[in-house]
Amino acid sequence: MPGAHLKWGWAWPANRRVMYNRASADLKGNPWSERKRWVWWDPTFVNPPDPKTAKPVPRGKWVGYDVPDFGATKAPDAQPKPDGIALDALSGTQPFIMRADGRGWLFVPAGLVDGPLPTHYEPHESPIQNPLYKQQTSPVHKVWAPGKPYNQLAVVGDPKFPYVISTYRLTEHYLAGAMSRWLPWLAELQPELFIELGKGLAQEKGIKNLDWVVVSSPRGHIRAKALVTDRIGVMNVGGKRIHHVGMPWHWGWMGLSTGDVVNDLTAWVGDPNVSIHEGKAFVCNVEKA
Amino acid sequence: MPEAMGFFTDTTVCIGCKACEVACKEWNQLPAENGGVGTLSGDSYDNTRRLDGIHWRHVRFIEQFKGPYDGRWLMMSDVCKHCVQAGCLEVCPTGAIIRTEFDTVVIQSDVCNGCRACIAACPFGVIDINPVSGTAQKCTLCYDRLKVGLEPACSKACPTDSIQFGPITELRQRAQKRVEQLRAQGTKADLYGADPKGPLGGLNSFYLLVDKPEVYGLPAKPQLPTRNLSKSAGFSVASAAVLGVLALVGLRKHWMDDMGGPGGGGGGGGGGQN
Repeated sequence: MPGAHLKWGWAWPANRRVMYNRASADLKGNPWSERKRWVWWDPTFVNPPDPKTAKPVPRGKWVGYDVPDFGATKAPDAQPKPDGIALDALSGTQPFIMRADGRGWLFVPAGLVDGPLPTHYEPHESPIQNPLYKQQTSPVHKVWAPGKPYNQLAVVGDPKFPYVISTYRLTEHYLAGAMSRWLPWLAELQPELFIELGKGLAQEKGIKNLDWVVVSSPRGHIRAKALVTDRIGVMNVGGKRIHHVGMPWHWGWMGLSTGDVVNDLTAWVGDPNVSIHEGKAFVCNVEKA
Repeated sequence: MPEAMGFFTDTTVCIGCKACEVACKEWNQLPAENGGVGTLSGDSYDNTRRLDGIHWRHVRFIEQFKGPYDGRWLMMSDVCKHCVQAGCLEVCPTGAIIRTEFDTVVIQSDVCNGCRACIAACPFGVIDINPVSGTAQKCTLCYDRLKVGLEPACSKACPTDSIQFGPITELRQRAQKRVEQLRAQGTKADLYGADPKGPLGGLNSFYLLVDKPEVYGLPAKPQLPTRNLSKSAGFSVASAAVLGVLALVGLRKHWMDDMGGPGGGGGGGGGGQN
């Protein structure tokens, strides 16, 4: 729905962009904040009869910018049914529908090593100081092989590595591509490793579309072809112009489609709870090969 | 006879995953180009570039940006249009191209002699020679699947229902509703090929577009090769008449020469000499 996304891409499930989004409205179903309204209760909405039972459905529906993550016609004053299961066992003011009690839990008895409130930390490698407060990164995030030559980490604002890089996947390839790079039907659709970079950076560095580019981080350097595009570009962060580049990481030295290993660049840093590799945001340098 | 069946492609929900391309190739056992070894096109995420004899589906990627992050990325899964008035079918000299009971257009590979007339006749550039069979090939709208009540492989694989398959009359209604919904949201949206009174009698694979057809590589006014038929027929008649008159003049000269000339010489060659 417009407002929730840029009209491309799709989020599982139901193209819903924010989970538990009934919580963006107060107990009565009105937005907590006019500026941040997201999903709210429209008591005047005329519902069609139930398609299965053909019984009339009372007025009122959750509407807004996102696909509601709640019973679409379950009113804010709905009462839980004592013998109900799933959503029927929750009241109209309990948005956390995947929890047995329908409540969001700030504190949990076990499991999480951080929390309880969300905050903003910079990635381990960042071109800027955390603009929110003096704690730069999560104090409990994981750093594997600290100090080893293959896990050198850039300091904040390191001039040798001025650009932010994100790594990601493509729909055509699977995981690191070890299987999909052997499949002719998939290999032909994304035949070579590339780096997406903005037109501004390309111009600064004299890089043209399809030129070979060397991308380096404190851990190593790799080669890829340039895909110059306005889909990615320059951000203004804390008064600094910071170029952002992106690379898919499916390539390796074997298969029908081969290319350098992008994980040679990524930092061996992970999130505190489930150790997810911080490959979405770290720093690099880009030069024409 | 079953109803006319076809595709409605709603480009606004295409996410460019290319599942349709892969599903098509898998079902129809079409080879990858050069065994799957290729080079980056540099044209957004489109490394297929065109429809041809081994690419019966092609997802276009159109980047419309004014500056960094400022614009939109259009995606569209293109395929044979299964025109109600099909140029390929009109020009095929062997009768290899047929209209099926589903009102779709299919090339029978065992009848095609690879003459390429249909390649030039298609206003959309859909058809090309499949190097494996040596014959002209294109989307069959999964005729073999339709025969046994299955939907085509591409629409089956499409995760967002950008490609919808069904009876054309029903698809047109659904498409009209979607256009109205988008317009109510302030999005420019138009159908391409949904009008049975429009070009080529309507397309049995029609599209919902948010920009001009040319942006998606589609002709604004697709035309049949027979559009020139009356003109060229007239020209043929006129040239035949002119040639006939010249031939008569030539024959008369030949006859006069024979009468008054020294005789001898092969008379049979005379027509050619004159």
